[in-house]
Amino acid sequence: MPPNPSPFPPPDFDLTHAYPDLAALRGAVVARDWPSISAFFDRLPDADRRNVAVRTAAEVDGADQWFAELVAANPDSSLIRVLYAASLIEAGWAVRSSYSAKYVSREQFKVFHDYLRRSEQLLIDITAREPDNVLAWALRQITALGLELGQAEARRRYDHVARYAPHCFFAQSRMLQQLCPKWSGDFDKAYAFARECAEAAPDGAINAALVADYYLERWLDFGDKAEAAAFLRRPEVQQEIRRAGGRSVLHPAHERGYKWYWAHNLFAALFSLAGDYAAAAVHFRAVGPYGDRFVWGYLGEPTRNFVEHRDRALGTGVTR
Amino acid sequence: MIKETEVDGVPTVVAPTQGPMHAGLVFRVGRADETLARSGLTHLVEHLALHGHGLTDYHFNGATGPTVTHFHMSGSESAVVEFLTGVCTALANLPMHRLATEKEILRTEWSSRTSPANEQMPLWRYGARDYGLLSYEEWGVSSLTAEEVEWWARTWFTRENAVLWIAGDGVPAGLSLRLPSGARRPVPAASSALPVTPAYFVGPSKSIVFDAVVRRRTAASVFTGVLQRELFRDLRQEGGYSYTVDASYDPRDNQVAIVTALADALPEKQSAVLGGFVDVLARLKVGRIDKADVEAVVGQGDESLRHPEAEAARLASVAVNMLTGYPNRTLEELRDELRAVTVDDVHEVAVEASNSGLLMVPRGHCADWAGYAEAPCQSTDRIDGPAYPSREHDDVSLVIGQQGVGIVTATGGSTVRFDRCSAMLAWPDGARELIGHDAFVVRVEPTLWEVPPQALAILDAALPPHQVITMPARQPDAIPQPKPKPKPVTVSPARNGFEMTVLAVSGVAGGLAALFAIAVTITALTDPGLDAVIAIIFFWAVAAILGAPAAVVYRRRRKRKAGPA
Repeated sequence: MPPNPSPFPPPDFDLTHAYPDLAALRGAVVARDWPSISAFFDRLPDADRRNVAVRTAAEVDGADQWFAELVAANPDSSLIRVLYAASLIEAGWAVRSSYSAKYVSREQFKVFHDYLRRSEQLLIDITAREPDNVLAWALRQITALGLELGQAEARRRYDHVARYAPHCFFAQSRMLQQLCPKWSGDFDKAYAFARECAEAAPDGAINAALVADYYLERWLDFGDKAEAAAFLRRPEVQQEIRRAGGRSVLHPAHERGYKWYWAHNLFAALFSLAGDYAAAAVHFRAVGPYGDRFVWGYLGEPTRNFVEHRDRALGTGVTR
Repeated sequence: MIKETEVDGVPTVVAPTQGPMHAGLVFRVGRADETLARSGLTHLVEHLALHGHGLTDYHFNGATGPTVTHFHMSGSESAVVEFLTGVCTALANLPMHRLATEKEILRTEWSSRTSPANEQMPLWRYGARDYGLLSYEEWGVSSLTAEEVEWWARTWFTRENAVLWIAGDGVPAGLSLRLPSGARRPVPAASSALPVTPAYFVGPSKSIVFDAVVRRRTAASVFTGVLQRELFRDLRQEGGYSYTVDASYDPRDNQVAIVTALADALPEKQSAVLGGFVDVLARLKVGRIDKADVEAVVGQGDESLRHPEAEAARLASVAVNMLTGYPNRTLEELRDELRAVTVDDVHEVAVEASNSGLLMVPRGHCADWAGYAEAPCQSTDRIDGPAYPSREHDDVSLVIGQQGVGIVTATGGSTVRFDRCSAMLAWPDGARELIGHDAFVVRVEPTLWEVPPQALAILDAALPPHQVITMPARQPDAIPQPKPKPKPVTVSPARNGFEMTVLAVSGVAGGLAALFAIAVTITALTDPGLDAVIAIIFFWAVAAILGAPAAVVYRRRRKRKAGPA
C-alpha cells in the first residue's frame, strides 16, 4: 500500500456523515418509510433545518418516483407535495449537471426546464393553498433561478419566505446566488444584500457567514488567481471576513445547525486562499474530516484542494 | 320601475330620473358583425348619422361597440326629440356628400387615439374575424363605397333591430323614429384562434393583461371585483410593483362574459408583476377567497342598485339585453341575486376563468412555467407550390400556390389559405399583405423576393374585391429594399500568404530570442546583480518585439475562425 501523504484522515464530503440524523432521514427515504420521514420533519425546529432536510430527502436517487406515488395516495399532504416538488428539481438539476450554462446541450436544457416547470406548477398550487409555506417558497426561489424568471420575481419569492421566516439562511443564500453576475445580477447588489442580512440577524446566527459567501463569489469572478488572492488579502476584506466569522460560527451564542460544517469550510477556504493559514487552521480544526463539496468545488477539484490547504494550515506538529 | 312601450315600432323602455332627460337609441350592430376587409362600416355610419348635430350645445355622443351602436343625448325634451329624430332621418338617408370627409375624420380619430393595453387580446383569442376585429385598425373605411355604406345602414339600422331608452317622465311629445323596416339580428358566434387554454402570448405592452371567457352571471361580476381587490393588494399595496391595477366584467353575448384584468409594470419589475399575477389567479382557483372581499364587492354592487337613480342608470344595459336576448330582471331580483352570491360561487367562476384564461406578457417573458400554453406563433399547415427565395435571408422562402401563400423558414412559418383569408391589403407599388382567419399574416414585398410578376398576379386573382383593402400609396423611402446578405468571411490568397510569412518569420525569431532570454535568466540566477537584471529585461524585451507580429496575426486568424458574433 502506498503511504498516505497526508498525516490527517481522508476527507469526507458526505453531509450525512457529518450530521448523522440526516443519514437516518436518507435511510428512511431509501427504505420508503414515510412515518419516520414525517416524524423527522416534525422534530425539526426551524425553517433552515427543514430546508436542508427537504433537499437531503429529495436528493436520494429515484426519490421523485416514490414521492409521485405518495402524492397520488395523499393529495392533501403539503409536506409530501413539497418533497415531490423538491425531488423534481433535484432530478432536473442532475440532468443539467454542474456544467456552466454554455456547455449544457439544448436537449439537456429542455429536460431540465421540463422538470423545473412541473415542480414550479406544483409549488404554485402549494403556495396558493398555503401562502405561509416557507419550504415551498424557498423551492420556488430555485425554480425561478433555473427557469431564469428574472431578478424581480426572484426577489418577490425571497420576500415571501422572509415574511414568515425573517432570517431564513437557506433563502438568503439562494437570493445571494441570484444577485451574482453569473445569474444576471451585479456584485454591488449582492454585497448590499449580504450585508443587510448579516446586520439584521441576531449575534451568533449563521447569517453573517453570507458576507464570507459573497467574498468567495468575488474571488471566483477574478480571471487572475494572483489578483483574486490579493483582493482577499485587502485589509478591509479581511476585516469583514473575520467579523463574519466572529458574528456567526465563532460567536459564543452560535448554535450548530446543518450549515455549521459548510460555514467553517467556507472560512477555511477563504483564509487559505488569502494565504492566512493560521486563521484557516481554526476552521479546519473545527471541521475535522468533513469537507464541503460546494465550497471546495469553487477552487477546482474539491478533495485535492481540501487536503492541500488543510495540510498546509494544520502543518506538522499540530496537536490533534 | 321600468316601463315598456313602443315608439314608431321601436321597443322603448322608460324610467324616471331626477335630472334632465337622457335618452339613447341602441342598435344591435357593432364591429364584430363586420369583416376585416370592410371594418369600420358601422363606425362610419355612426359618424354620418351624427354629422348634422355637430353645432348644438347639448351633450350627445355616438359609440360603436363590439355588438351594439349607441346614440345618446341628454338635455331638454325638445332637444332630445330633435336629436333622435335627426339621427333616424339621417340613418334613413345618409348624407353621402360627407362620405370623404367623415372617412378622413375616422382616420384622424384612429391615429390620435392611444392604444389600450388589452388591444391585442381579441386577435389572439378569436383571430381576424368577429370579436377579433376589435384588435384591428378600421382598414375597410378607405375602400367603402356609398352603396356599401347605404346597404349596411339599411340592413342593420332598422326599427326591428333597435331599442330606445328614455330616462325621464315618458316619451317626449313629438318624438318620431322613422327607421326602415328590417329584422332583429342575432349576436355573431365567436371564432377561436386558441387550440388550448389557458394560454399566453408575448404582447407589445409593458402591462400584463389577462382575460377569460366565463358563463354570464352575477357571481362572475363579483369574481371580477374580488380579482381586482386581490391584484391591487398583492401588486400595489404589498409588492409596490404596479401603479395601475384594474379589472372589468363585460358581457359578450347572452351566454358568456369576458373578465379582463391588467396591471402595469416598470421594465425591471415586470417579472414580479407576472409572478404576482399568476399567484393571485392560482390562489382564487384553489378557492382561497376571502369572504370579506366577497362581502365588500357585494356591498358595493348592492349600494349602486339601491341608488335613487339606479333604474335610470341601467336603462342602456336593459336595452342591450333586449337586443341580445338576455332576460332582464327587476332591481329587486338583481339585489337578491347579488346578495345570494357565496364564496363557493366565486370559486366556481375562478376555476372557469383560470381554465379559459389568456395571458399577455411583456417582451422577454413567457408563462409556460406557470402552466399557460404558448398561443400559436407558427402556422401548422403548408401550401403546395413553387418557392421563391428571399433576397435577404438564405433559409427563408415565399411559397405562392393555388391554395394560398406562405412564408417558410427553417423553424416554421406563416401560411394564409385563400379560402381562409380575412383580407388582403394592397398597395399601389405591388406590396400585398394577407391576413388569415387565424390572424396569421403573410406580407409580400416584391422588392424582397426573387418572385416573377405572374406569380404575384395569382394573389390578386385569388381574392374577390370585397376581401381586398386598397391602401394609400407609400413614400418611396417607405418601400423596403433588401439588405445585403451577410457575406461569408474569406481571406484573399495574397493576404493569407503575407500572414503565413509573418507567422513564420516572427514566430521563429521571437521563439529563438525567448530561448536566449531564458538562458540569460537562468545564468543570472546564479550571479544576481543589477547588471543581470538589466540583461534579463533587455533580452525579454527583444523576444517580445520579435514575436509580437506573430501573436497579432495569430489572434486575428483565430477571431476569423470563430466567425462574426
